[in-house]
Amino acid sequence: MADLNEATRLQKETTLQKLLRRPEMGAFVVMIVIIVALAIASDGKAFNPLGLKNNIAIIAQYGIIATGAAALMIAGEFDLSIGSMIGFAGMSMAMMLKWGLPFGLGEASPAMAFFITLAMTLGIGWMIGMIVVRSGLSSFIVTLAFLFFLRGVTEVCFRLINQSTQISGLPDFKLESWFANLMGGEVFGWFYDLWFMLGGNLNRRGEQWVTGFDARFLWWIIIAGAAYFILSRTQIGNWIYATGDNKEAARANGVPVDKVKVGLFMFTAFCATIFAACQVYDTNTSDAAKGNLMELFAIAIAVVGGTLMTGGFGSIIGVVFGAITVGLVANAVFFIPAIDGAWFRVFLGGILLAAVFANERIRKRITGGI
Amino acid sequence: MAEPYLRVENLVKRFGPFTALGGVDLEVYPGEVHCLLGDNGAGKSTLIKTLSGVHQPTEGKIYIEGKPVTFRSPRDASAAGIGTVYQDLALNPLMSVTRNFFMGRELTGPLGSLRMAEMNKIAHDEMLKIGIDFSDPTQAVGTMSGGQRQTLAIARAIHFGAKVLILDEPTSALGQRQQMGVLKTIKRVRARGDIAIIFITHNEIHSRLVGDRYTFLALGKSIGAGTAAEIGDKEMRRLMSGGAEMGDLKAELDAI
Ligand SMILES: Nc1ncnc2c1ncn2[C@@H]1O[C@H](COP(=O)(O)OP(=O)(O)O)[C@@H](O)[C@H]1O
Ligand SMILES: [Mg+2]
Repeated sequence: MADLNEATRLQKETTLQKLLRRPEMGAFVVMIVIIVALAIASDGKAFNPLGLKNNIAIIAQYGIIATGAAALMIAGEFDLSIGSMIGFAGMSMAMMLKWGLPFGLGEASPAMAFFITLAMTLGIGWMIGMIVVRSGLSSFIVTLAFLFFLRGVTEVCFRLINQSTQISGLPDFKLESWFANLMGGEVFGWFYDLWFMLGGNLNRRGEQWVTGFDARFLWWIIIAGAAYFILSRTQIGNWIYATGDNKEAARANGVPVDKVKVGLFMFTAFCATIFAACQVYDTNTSDAAKGNLMELFAIAIAVVGGTLMTGGFGSIIGVVFGAITVGLVANAVFFIPAIDGAWFRVFLGGILLAAVFANERIRKRITGGI
Repeated sequence: MAEPYLRVENLVKRFGPFTALGGVDLEVYPGEVHCLLGDNGAGKSTLIKTLSGVHQPTEGKIYIEGKPVTFRSPRDASAAGIGTVYQDLALNPLMSVTRNFFMGRELTGPLGSLRMAEMNKIAHDEMLKIGIDFSDPTQAVGTMSGGQRQTLAIARAIHFGAKVLILDEPTSALGQRQQMGVLKTIKRVRARGDIAIIFITHNEIHSRLVGDRYTFLALGKSIGAGTAAEIGDKEMRRLMSGGAEMGDLKAELDAI
């Protein structure tokens, strides 16, 4: 009895036990199951050179915006304007590329179109954040308003300036602009070169088939890597978690909770802009419906990855697993033509619900059941 | 007798027409536990909120080491060495012990990265000093007992320079064993000798066990004050019940 103290009541866990209790574990297991199932059902086609490239392309798209959505959710807020922001940013860039800079300031280079657009989207993100923290209104409503507002502005601009809600047939800027190539070109060519050298990656004529991944793969790695580092290893990360967990406690300890939130609304706007830029410079097109529903996919992936709806808890690694899972399933119909594409949404609904329950259990375990 | 670290003179706090504090005096000395006792609504929380810079006094003065001070914000008070541990403790349940300990005052290296190993060690050592050996500072606060959370909040306040530690009813929401844990913590902090403690409680036994000095509040006024030696058990009981005699209370009840 004498040597019984509070410290001894905490059971020592092995590394494996700790690993099994990590919040990303559920998402990891689901991801592995999906990878194996898809590989078998598609007869390996999902992971042949082209299948891999196409899968990574959609995974990276989801991953970029889900990272922003998750970071913001950890701080206790939502952003429903992500999809409309993608549409708006894509419109803005394509419009400048086609019609030149505003106020007749001459032609726009790909980099100029991007940075002017980014300045606008960051400004809008800042404004959304300021409205949320100043008014104390729910970010759900404020960003829902911006979902409609931005989508409407996008369409109106298209019709007014362009007379049509889509732009296509832009020149392929990748060919001469290194900046456009950075957004819409290819990366990690060495991976496919190596695959070719090892005797794979051949097309029907026996030449090298695929030459690289879409550039958005690199952007996803950069954004997710930076978000992971910031959230788990830095002071700002600690502030983000503290803001989402108990805002008043964070404030009482000197955490600038309003600045944290505004900064994260700007971060989701940034992610949406990168998403749009990769799309515009890859395809050299844009239309008013781009990014539709993406805000909901981003939130769903964040939740599947173990992020709590109530804030204060979540991991970028889990979001990476979530993006891989959802991306693969979204693409599955291309590799398994026998299935109806709508099964994707059935599946997403199912794992979303399962994830919410799993996350709630984790939260209860951590907070001792409150 | 040494100089009091904190002295309050004729403190008045009005909320509109309502006088929450009607002229209270208070002296707290380093190395002493000053118990602030009184019924619900007596004004205890209002008094400490004024001392912590949450409220500004309507009248009266606060002195720190003999010099008059004005606190415009909790930040001012905390810079003057007033560390307040509120009933809700200002902790984040989903975050680890270390992350809570350093919340808002993290130790950073290059790129704003956290010096996690160092922070873990400090959090562990500071908590050990006042009584709990917390083997795993990466454990979430939500899994800690109420008494352990108190200790964490107290250790944090001390580490970040509190010279006056204000504890607002730290034992009221706890079970027996944990109440003893908090009292032990209070004793350990007292034993350091350099920190003055204001301990707010409803509990006569607790205040007897750790108190050096007492102030009794009723309806916003001090109805009695003195050292442990000056205030006997009978007097204590009388002041605890707001100044009424046991016989009077009995008569009041019998009348029903
Ligand atoms: N911000 C406020 N505005 C108006 N009245 C208040 C405020 N804070 C406290 N009071 C009143 O002051 C009195 C003393 O309250 P308080 O200091 O919380 O008492 P205690 O902590 O001793 O129970 C109560 O009657 C309370 O209603
Ligand atoms: Mg009170």
